[in-house]
Amino acid sequence: MKGITIAALGAFGIFVVLILLLPQQAKHQLQGALFQLISPVLRTGASVQQELGGVGGGLKRLDELERENQKLKLDNEQLRASNSLLKNLESEVNRLNRALGFREQSAFKLLPAHILSRESATWWNFCTIDRGTKNGIATDMAVVTEDGVFGKITTVAKDVAVVLLVSDESLRVSVSIEGTQEQGIVSGTRASSNYVPDLKIRFLSKTANLKPGMKVLTAGSGGVFPSGLVVGSIKDFFVKELEGVASVTPAVDLASVQDVFVVAGQK
Amino acid sequence: MILFFLALLVLIFGSFVFELFLPPVLLLHGAVILFVPAVYFYGCVSLPFPLTLALTCFTGILNDLFTIPQSRSHADFPSGISILIYLVPGLLMHGLRPLFLRHRWETHCLLAETGALLTPFILLAQYAMLSFERREIFFSDVIVWRIVGPGLISLLIAPCVFFILTPLSHALGYRPGLPLAR
Repeated sequence: MKGITIAALGAFGIFVVLILLLPQQAKHQLQGALFQLISPVLRTGASVQQELGGVGGGLKRLDELERENQKLKLDNEQLRASNSLLKNLESEVNRLNRALGFREQSAFKLLPAHILSRESATWWNFCTIDRGTKNGIATDMAVVTEDGVFGKITTVAKDVAVVLLVSDESLRVSVSIEGTQEQGIVSGTRASSNYVPDLKIRFLSKTANLKPGMKVLTAGSGGVFPSGLVVGSIKDFFVKELEGVASVTPAVDLASVQDVFVVAGQK
Repeated sequence: MILFFLALLVLIFGSFVFELFLPPVLLLHGAVILFVPAVYFYGCVSLPFPLTLALTCFTGILNDLFTIPQSRSHADFPSGISILIYLVPGLLMHGLRPLFLRHRWETHCLLAETGALLTPFILLAQYAMLSFERREIFFSDVIVWRIVGPGLISLLIAPCVFFILTPLSHALGYRPGLPLAR
């Protein structure tokens, strides 16, 4: 038994060293293969989640209708139900129209994608989308919505891709502040999440005259994000020992957005 | 035993996939719900030492592949390090294996809660590694909740996982410390 234990420890040690020494490119490919393996599950899970959301919305409407019916003595129940349904359809049509208009007006070639799952990691913010190499997606492509910057592609498999969100601490984007000469680097913080995003611009000048509500735009340097995309708006500005730091409210609602566009070059 | 070990591998893989669809708990400042540590700790207390090490390798690698975006050039969290992060609490739990082998529900419950209390250690170690790599360490109430919160959630989840896995192991013919079923 002692011999088996020693052999197991030896094998474990060798395995750990091999994994740690594995080139980053190989780990990147391994992650792509893993997400490709689970892509059918991700797609099924996303559609189930969507259907469950629809059921939840339906129950809410029913609840609202019940309250209204109490007021109106149940005389127009069917009419109100159909009205409510039409309202939902209208908002869905409006949302798709906005996305379509954005895609057509954009100077870039945009590939539409749907979010399959949102991450559950504690210290990293990322999500998976239903487009991969077979749709022309590659690593380091920018991901945007009609409202602004969403993130960038880090891992791509054949059918799915992993998007690192703008709220993640490790995604740094060079930005400029509209109406000023100020430039800085925006990134999330470790305490940031999709639901409570916490973005900060660092390396601003200490004398920067920034006011809440000013737009933060991508500067275009770095080669991932084209210039002029909206990142968010200034929430607060404060001066540290060596630099000015601004907190930013992201333009995109990272927790609820469903459809995104991958920037695949210029038109 | 091998059948149960394979079942644990499948369950851990499934738990990682399932966790992708679980939203964070906003009441606990975005703390995530973790099923994997509970399944892993059950494996640590029930399996013999070599298989515990194999389970640690599998869980650690999957953790890095599922929860850390791997960039092509440089990663600020070295992949594979989670094997070592899982190893420490895993070995602590394995040390409590004699208690598990008594097969009393109270001790199983106690072991499940011990595992839940060790869950924040995994997140704390990840945070320490990340802070070291990014050369910046800070603590806020959100960070503390992100570390402690999953442990609190695990206090509820872990006993359920333990009480589900015990019949599963018996069903698969693995009854450590008990006479063989006829």
